[in-house]
Amino acid sequence: MEQDAAEGQLQVRFVTKQEQYAVPDSPYAIQSNVQSAELNTLVNAILKETDVSSKRVEFDFLVCGELLSSSLTEHLQEKGVSTEETIEIEYLERFPAPAPQDCLMHDDWVSALQTNGNWILSGSYDNSLHIWTTKGQHKLVIPGHTSPIKAVSWVSVSGDQAVFASGSHDQSAMLWVWNIANNSVDCVVTCRGHDKGVECMSVSADASKLATGSWDNNICLWSASLSDEDNAPAKKRSKPDHGNTREPLATLKGHREAVSGVHWMDFNTIVSSGWDHLLKIWDCELNGIKQEIAGNKAFFDVDWSPLSNSMITASADRHVRLYDPRSTESIVKSTFTSHTGWVQSVRWSKTRDTLFLSAGCDGQVKLWETRSPRMPLYDLSGHEDKVLCCDWSNPALLISGSCDNTLRIFKAKNAFGSS
Amino acid sequence: MPPFKAGLLKRKIGSEEPKKTVAKDSSEDEGSDSGESEDLIRGDLNGADDATDSEQEAEGAHSDAEQDEVLFDDSADSTFGDEEQAEDASDESSELPDSEADESSEEEDDGDDVGESEQEGEAEDSGEESGIGQTHSGSSDDSEEKLTKQKQKQKKTKEIREKEVKEKRTKQKQVKGAKDSVDILADKIKETSVKTQPVAERDEYESGDTSDEEDRRNTVGNIPMWWYNEYPHVGYDLDGRKIIKPPQRDQIDEFLKKCEDPEFWRTVRDPATGQDVILSKEDLQLIARIRQGQVPNAAHDEYQPWVEWFTREVLATPVRAFPEHKRSFLPSRDQQKHVARIVHALKMGWTKTRRQIAKERRKKKVKQFYNLWGAAEEEQSRGIHKHIPAPKRALPGHAESYNPPPEYLLDKKEMKEWNKLAETPWKRKYTFLPTKHDNLRSVGAYERFIRERFLRCLDLYLAPRAIHMRLTISPEDLVPKLPSPRELQPFPTFEALAFKGHGGLVRSADFDPTGQYAVSGSDDGTVKVWETSTGRCLRTITLGQPVSRVAWTPAAGLSLVAAAVGNRLLLLNPGQDIGTHRVAARTDELLEEPPPSHDVVMDERTTTAVQWEKVKPDEWALGVRVAVTHFKPVIHITWHGRGDYIAVTLQDGASRAVIVHQLSRRRSQLPFSKAKGLVQCALFHPVTPRLFVATQRVVRIYDLVKQELVKKLLTGAQWVSAMAVHPAGDNLLVASYDRKCMWFDLELSSKPYQTLRLHGGAVRSVAFHRRYPLFASAGDDQNIVVSHGMVYNDLLQNPLLVPLKQLRGPEKREDLCVLDIRFHPTQPWLLAAGADATLRLYT
Repeated sequence: MEQDAAEGQLQVRFVTKQEQYAVPDSPYAIQSNVQSAELNTLVNAILKETDVSSKRVEFDFLVCGELLSSSLTEHLQEKGVSTEETIEIEYLERFPAPAPQDCLMHDDWVSALQTNGNWILSGSYDNSLHIWTTKGQHKLVIPGHTSPIKAVSWVSVSGDQAVFASGSHDQSAMLWVWNIANNSVDCVVTCRGHDKGVECMSVSADASKLATGSWDNNICLWSASLSDEDNAPAKKRSKPDHGNTREPLATLKGHREAVSGVHWMDFNTIVSSGWDHLLKIWDCELNGIKQEIAGNKAFFDVDWSPLSNSMITASADRHVRLYDPRSTESIVKSTFTSHTGWVQSVRWSKTRDTLFLSAGCDGQVKLWETRSPRMPLYDLSGHEDKVLCCDWSNPALLISGSCDNTLRIFKAKNAFGSS
Repeated sequence: MPPFKAGLLKRKIGSEEPKKTVAKDSSEDEGSDSGESEDLIRGDLNGADDATDSEQEAEGAHSDAEQDEVLFDDSADSTFGDEEQAEDASDESSELPDSEADESSEEEDDGDDVGESEQEGEAEDSGEESGIGQTHSGSSDDSEEKLTKQKQKQKKTKEIREKEVKEKRTKQKQVKGAKDSVDILADKIKETSVKTQPVAERDEYESGDTSDEEDRRNTVGNIPMWWYNEYPHVGYDLDGRKIIKPPQRDQIDEFLKKCEDPEFWRTVRDPATGQDVILSKEDLQLIARIRQGQVPNAAHDEYQPWVEWFTREVLATPVRAFPEHKRSFLPSRDQQKHVARIVHALKMGWTKTRRQIAKERRKKKVKQFYNLWGAAEEEQSRGIHKHIPAPKRALPGHAESYNPPPEYLLDKKEMKEWNKLAETPWKRKYTFLPTKHDNLRSVGAYERFIRERFLRCLDLYLAPRAIHMRLTISPEDLVPKLPSPRELQPFPTFEALAFKGHGGLVRSADFDPTGQYAVSGSDDGTVKVWETSTGRCLRTITLGQPVSRVAWTPAAGLSLVAAAVGNRLLLLNPGQDIGTHRVAARTDELLEEPPPSHDVVMDERTTTAVQWEKVKPDEWALGVRVAVTHFKPVIHITWHGRGDYIAVTLQDGASRAVIVHQLSRRRSQLPFSKAKGLVQCALFHPVTPRLFVATQRVVRIYDLVKQELVKKLLTGAQWVSAMAVHPAGDNLLVASYDRKCMWFDLELSSKPYQTLRLHGGAVRSVAFHRRYPLFASAGDDQNIVVSHGMVYNDLLQNPLLVPLKQLRGPEKREDLCVLDIRFHPTQPWLLAAGADATLRLYT
């Protein structure tokens, strides 16, 4: 035992990018079989030496670019790093565990949701849209679609007026205007152009354009403006109760099978994922494909993070994959494996470049750190059936919708990075 | 005589011409000799007979040898005198008239010859007479006298001739008188052995002395004569009488003789007889020639002219006219062997070059030491290779001790057992009886010792030990080399979704052409449409009766699901929300109004079997667009690739078990007029107008255009349950209730290309993937087996079938597990309709 301990001496040096937690740059000799909990105690003790008033902070430790999840020796062995040299351990404040906050009951499966500020928009298989406050108060039920809603997205919230869009299997996308004060909603525009159900949608960052992906293998770009002026030939309004009907600005044809996910990368670039095992990056000005990334499974969802400039995808297996479209050698950067069923939806954090959410058919929502591919940071459990969608648009709220007719809200405590 | 021989003779004659006279002489002499010899023999005989008689006449015939011999005994001195006389006589005769003899020799000889012949006759007579009696002794005496006379005469002539020869020769051949008698004797012996026959013969018989000597032969043989030194005699003659030594002469006698006897110098003593022998001139001459190293026979011509019989010149008449024998060109067999041996030695490197030999020699000079610490390999190479030591005998145990611990001694029970096994001693616990002795001294001899040693020896040499090479065939080697499943991805590996909602076992399932939706028919009387990606039930159509079969139309422009409900075939439009609105609406439009019935002509046989119904409004509201009622329950339906035709299999339909409906004209056809067995299912070929019809044991392929049987596939199964056609149409997969799946390569044979026994229970469904090289089979055991089934475009390459994955199927209900399986049209996903009222999607 003693011998083991003697052998297990390691020279480490602690570094951090978070200045308020900086410690002296001197090497420490520690046991090699320590885990992050012991390291935590050590760092806290060091911090205590410098500043007596400091509170205890939970840290995560990055060794060789990967989050320490097992003991230090095992981790180093896996990485193939010599234990002779001084090892640099970067520590950062641990993302605090999200706490379950609320459970919003629906009448049917929750298939789509998005938050914006204080509002939660959810779409359900009972063809209706729901608006909730983040506190869990049900504001509105919006019938209008004739088929299950598959995608919802806020376009803009300004003052009393909020605009949002919804896409449904009834082959249409709708633009809604919600008067918050009156709590009245109106369908301003109905976008008809798809031959089959709309599967996904995304609103551009400047809220001017809407992209929808559909089962007819096409991506349509729509104007997200409420006024009709850019639709040059004013179409005859066939359905006055649903407002105007709008034609797509452009139809991006290229996928050979259903488009399952679409996301704006910047103001005129879209990334889309399809059941044909392809990720495509489209140029919306030229309406052409910029790049094509082939996977080996049907993609169910894609999300783009401008913070880390990378994509995460959910596909018809148990893995979440991180893609870096600019990388030349290996496009798949890492694979995150923890789900036991299909992953239906993935969402980046809007504020942290290394965190993302994934929702799986195993009823789990997982919070991932990109540097820890083997183990998620947290499992947000609570759903009793397949989780179909998740959202992290509001940095404080991690919400997910499931087949058990519920929408669950987890509150992310305000961590350093998100402040 | 051949000419060449004649020539030969001629030459010989020519060469001999100078000696002609001599040769003639000799030949003549020989002739006379021969006559003499005959005579002499006769005389001998006579002599032997007359030995006693002739004693009386001894004085008269002094030259008679026999008389001399006999006289030896009586008067030793007189004999000496006799000899002298004889010698004198011979000398005298030799000195007597030479010329006369020369001149008259021929004439005399002639005369003699005649006389001899006369004498011969007489002699013969006398011989006979003498044998009879002594009465004619006088006449015999006469003849003897004559004989002696002749002899003397001949002797004379011979001596004369010798003299001549001697004169011809040079004087150097003289022999000194001072020579030792022994030396001379040796020469004499040599001479006798070397002497050429004719000369010797003549000598012997012409000189009376020698002939006498011959008769007085000593019979002791070739022994050292000093053995007789002590005795008065020197041996025995032919008659066994002692040959008495001649009287010894002392020195004075010798000296006197030397002085007196002119022949002393050439007198030698014969050791065998002790007689003095006077060497003749010829003898001396012979001795001289031998001493000089010349040919002893003076008559021999050493320098005869060489006759070249075989010359290199080509002769007109060669000695030998035949060609050279082949042998003369070839090396002899022996030589050949010798050469071969050398060549072989060269090849094998046995022969060494000089350099090699030198090297070896040098090596030898360097001292070689035994490497004590060297590797064991060298050691091994010297000894036996792979020596297997004999198994050692087990060491003796406690029981074998002379004083074993008490627990090893047999107690009563064990003793009983021991005695019981007396018949079969090899079954006993020990081969011996453990016995306790007070001390080692009292241990008796082990009576089985010799026996056991013997058996041990037998074991050792009768059971030869060998290293047994075990065949190391691992079971993996026997399995055919198949690519690993990892290389054959993608294929379904785990259950992704379970579609729950049905209330009874799900009989059948199908995907829509894009794979967005799945449809299922259940025993609870409903048809459900599901969203594939989430497992959401989008539509439920309640039909009241158990739905045995559902099939989505492959036509992209239609939104129709065919469902078999009891006797009816229903075509359902799943509705607005499913698929494209426009397509759904168009389908409704198309099917709302039946086509004019006048152009639809169906015969009676068909009309009794099939009835196209008018859809009732309540059914229309449910989604039923077309309904066809059959005379028997529908068990299987299949769409044609274009979606216009649908083939229906009826239970117990006999000859009308298979019915093909045409949707556009609302018309039915009965393709078969005769029942070929219990039809299980029928399938359309995906490309050509062919129909596969599976009966209980056979699958028949019909050409629908030519209306004929194309092929009959013998499944080898007891009861076919289902089948699936490869999307290319060349391969057929048949499932059977007896746990088998048969893969048919239609190009190959009518027998299964492979029979897959992958299931533990009846196989109820098989399916091919439309895009991926995958097929799956499922049945009553809880496993769904997904296999790789690669069909190559190359006709020479057989399909590659690799079982990939066993998927855990739905739970069992009433011994049923999976009733139908279907692959997703685009993704490598598998949908299984389970007996536990769920559908499972495997990805």
